[in-house]
Amino acid sequence: MILTGNKIIEEVESGKIEITPFDKNRITTNSYDLSLGETIIRYKAEVIDPKVETPYEEIKIPSDGMVLNQGDFVLGHSNERIGSDFYVPMIHGKSGTARMGLFVHVTADLIDIGSHGVTTFQLYATLPVRLYPGILIAQVSFWVPFGDIVLYKGKYQNSTGPRPSMTYKDFKYDIFKKD
Amino acid sequence: MKEEVKNGHITIDPFSLDQVNPNSCNYRLGSVLKVFDKFDGNKSVFREIKIPEKGYVLEPRKMYLATTKEVIGSSKYAMSLIGRSSMGRYGLFLQCSANLGHTTSKHKWTLEIVAAMPIKLYPGMIIGQVSFWKNYGSVEKYSGRYGFLNHPQESFALDKQENYDPNRK
Repeated sequence: MILTGNKIIEEVESGKIEITPFDKNRITTNSYDLSLGETIIRYKAEVIDPKVETPYEEIKIPSDGMVLNQGDFVLGHSNERIGSDFYVPMIHGKSGTARMGLFVHVTADLIDIGSHGVTTFQLYATLPVRLYPGILIAQVSFWVPFGDIVLYKGKYQNSTGPRPSMTYKDFKYDIFKKD
Repeated sequence: MKEEVKNGHITIDPFSLDQVNPNSCNYRLGSVLKVFDKFDGNKSVFREIKIPEKGYVLEPRKMYLATTKEVIGSSKYAMSLIGRSSMGRYGLFLQCSANLGHTTSKHKWTLEIVAAMPIKLYPGMIIGQVSFWKNYGSVEKYSGRYGFLNHPQESFALDKQENYDPNRK
């Protein structure tokens, strides 16, 4: 079951949903609009190898914007800190973003229950697009879980900016588990 | 999920408790990869390879077919097959806007892999996750053509004329 906008307002007020800063005007029928923060991460590797840490650079989006070229892939982040210990958040593009051919996540829409922090956007441009800091780029919806809850305690907890992938940590511990 | 695997309402085989997340279960990459070769005028032709242990580099803007290593299905829940944020952060798509898994289907899911950047994949690596959703309404058994296949399967969409006849019932 998905929460309505009115229910999201109620649960932000009761503390069951965290959205900071929160502005009631950004509530939609079934979601809350997220704005783009100013920091972008761009990987600096010819080939990504998930077994090792990938070098990257951090870029600030200037106030007059930054162009992503067709085929560019970078990480961005929401200005808002979001999370819930009671509902499951899911990230979606806004239809206005999608109509410019911009993906805001790469088949990873589900946020674990108990995960709190600013969310990392996986920005993939299928057409050239100019990004500005603060534009409303994505939305988050909240879903009622079924079953006992075990809260997230993962490696991306409490993110304050875009977070590059840390798969190299998985490889150290649990990759190639044999059956 | 742990409970429903035990009850037989969810199949994840092989199943390992440490692959369970707060709201999803991780799956691994199988070892067979189909690499796009050419478009023959009607459909895409793929060439099949085995992903070597030392890894295989995917090129951007190509589409690859692979499968989950696990057999995944449920007699009771609908499923959503997605990637993991850790792979999404590298720009790796695991499906092409076709995340919905039908209730009663059970197989090694075909993954439609697209890489935004060149990336090396290893057989058996944890690559994505699947979540389970309660149904509202009575369930009809899945009658599609894909939901029981365990090999990366190209599209059947254009195989038969009636599939693209707009007057098809």
